[in-house]
Amino acid sequence: MGLLHAAILNTLPNVEVNVLCDKGALIRKFCKRVFDGVRVVDDLEKLSGLDLDVVYVTTPIPSHFIVTKTIYSNAISRNVFIEKTLASSYDESKKICELAQSFGAINMVGYMKRFAVTFRKAKDLLDQDALGELVSFDAYAYSSDFLGSEKSSKASASRGGVLRDLGAHVVDLALWFFGDLEVDSAKLESLVEGGSEDFANFRVKKSDGLEGWFSVSWCKENYRLPEFGLVIKGSEGFMRVNDDEVELKLNDEKSSRWYRHDLNDNVGFLLGAPEYFREDDYFIKSVLENRNVEPGFHTASKVDYIIDQVKSRAGK
Amino acid sequence: MGDGRKKILLVGDNPFHGISHLSQEQARVRGKAMIYPEYAANLVVTSLENEANGFMFSVSETTLSILQILHEREGDKRPGLYALVPYAFEYVRLATQLGTSGLAKKFAKQIMVSGNVRAIAMGLKGVIRMDPVTLLKTYLIYEISRIKSSAGKQANLESLLLHEIITDMGLALNLDWLFKSYVDFMLKLGIKPGFDTRNFAYLVKKFNGWGINFHDVIIAAPFNKVGFQMDPSKRECETALATLDEPNVIAISILAAGYLKPLEAIEYIESLPNIKGVAVGVSKEQHARETFKLLKNRLG
Repeated sequence: MGLLHAAILNTLPNVEVNVLCDKGALIRKFCKRVFDGVRVVDDLEKLSGLDLDVVYVTTPIPSHFIVTKTIYSNAISRNVFIEKTLASSYDESKKICELAQSFGAINMVGYMKRFAVTFRKAKDLLDQDALGELVSFDAYAYSSDFLGSEKSSKASASRGGVLRDLGAHVVDLALWFFGDLEVDSAKLESLVEGGSEDFANFRVKKSDGLEGWFSVSWCKENYRLPEFGLVIKGSEGFMRVNDDEVELKLNDEKSSRWYRHDLNDNVGFLLGAPEYFREDDYFIKSVLENRNVEPGFHTASKVDYIIDQVKSRAGK
Repeated sequence: MGDGRKKILLVGDNPFHGISHLSQEQARVRGKAMIYPEYAANLVVTSLENEANGFMFSVSETTLSILQILHEREGDKRPGLYALVPYAFEYVRLATQLGTSGLAKKFAKQIMVSGNVRAIAMGLKGVIRMDPVTLLKTYLIYEISRIKSSAGKQANLESLLLHEIITDMGLALNLDWLFKSYVDFMLKLGIKPGFDTRNFAYLVKKFNGWGINFHDVIIAAPFNKVGFQMDPSKRECETALATLDEPNVIAISILAAGYLKPLEAIEYIESLPNIKGVAVGVSKEQHARETFKLLKNRLG
């Protein structure tokens, strides 16, 4: 993710990638050979005094708290972007929010699905009350990343388990669409040897009566690419949205469908997916214009709150 | 306006990898048959029998099996091969499961097991010196040897194209040495160097700035009536295309992942200058017959 963000940032006007920090000696040696004019360091504290406008944290999730703390306490930069999730627990998230309150300026967490044209369209339709009074939703996040793995690996652990790696995106979308939610019941399972978190099912409720169900797995067959989606039911009909399309079916009417093609999906530079460019462009413009962004740390901490609740309800 | 020249017609491999850029659900609905090499090889043969001139594919275990089947069944025919490397999806998937260092170890082991002495020697040199150009050459020799061992030594490897993720990351990070080294090395091997990109206008601007001669290379980029994946805009891609001196672009995604009907897609391609050929994926025998006959009538 670090390289992807560095590449996109390098295409934006007014942005220059100055310095890379990595603990791995081999990676550092390689980066020095590959990137002309970019300083490569082995220790975060060596970023002090470089007068950096922005730092991107793209390390494994368990390190987000300590890395961010070091950035703020050494005044490395006041503007910080952290790849999702904000931290590996709600406690750590709260501490990061406090640090940002004291020492930070503009901050953002990489919940890039908010920048996908299909989910934006869904959000617009919900804001227009297209479905009437919301009744329930089903949300999923699936991939085949660990399908067929016989035992859990360091890689799966460094990704923070399936809830943080995949589930976090769809939890963030649900919070964005519906507002604050509380976990009612949860099941969290390991499908492979080694006790990793591979599969989660949980139910949430909102104070106004809205109910939702989540299903998250990275051992799902036929999900070559990770896929995220929701089916939302309201008094006036239902909506189905995923990475590729939005379908709206109102009572007694024909359904309407929008693909990415219909929703102006072009960006300044396409790498990985259009949403990465939109996310980085939005963050940088916000820093330049000194305006707050969403999802900022406080908003993103709510995802960690839900994940902690799921684990607690599941007895983990 | 189009240049009226005959175009190369390539059958693409996206359906064989379970890819649909319209919707992943559509890819799942197509079912697993598509990814079985025997089924896919039949579709490639049908396309070739219906006027396709070649096969554009990412180098993966699936496509290597397809090449092997084609070689065994149609050994005397040598369709033009346009190979994309690396098959980024597979490497990302392995990195997901094994971590980056695990992936590097697995890859090194594969090169050792391949017994390709040149690749092994070059790879060792590259690792010791941590020299990216030598490592790149090692990788290319390895991939070419995989293709030839499946498709036969006499295979007609027209072009080896760098996958979009490498091309576009290299463009974004201003890695001019990567592009120049790649072009020089491939030309020495007698294979046309190619670049797959989702940022065609940006690539044209960079290549012009770096002095890379378009005459030496092939570019694969999306061109379709609705501007799908034509970034930053359809208009800027069309303008950049018009600046080239000769046709050296393979248009991909001409159907915008199935969003467009073949006829309207082809009419748009006909209107463009400097298109050398098109690549289209097919998922059924009938689809292969109809599509390539139509392409031949209008473009071939």
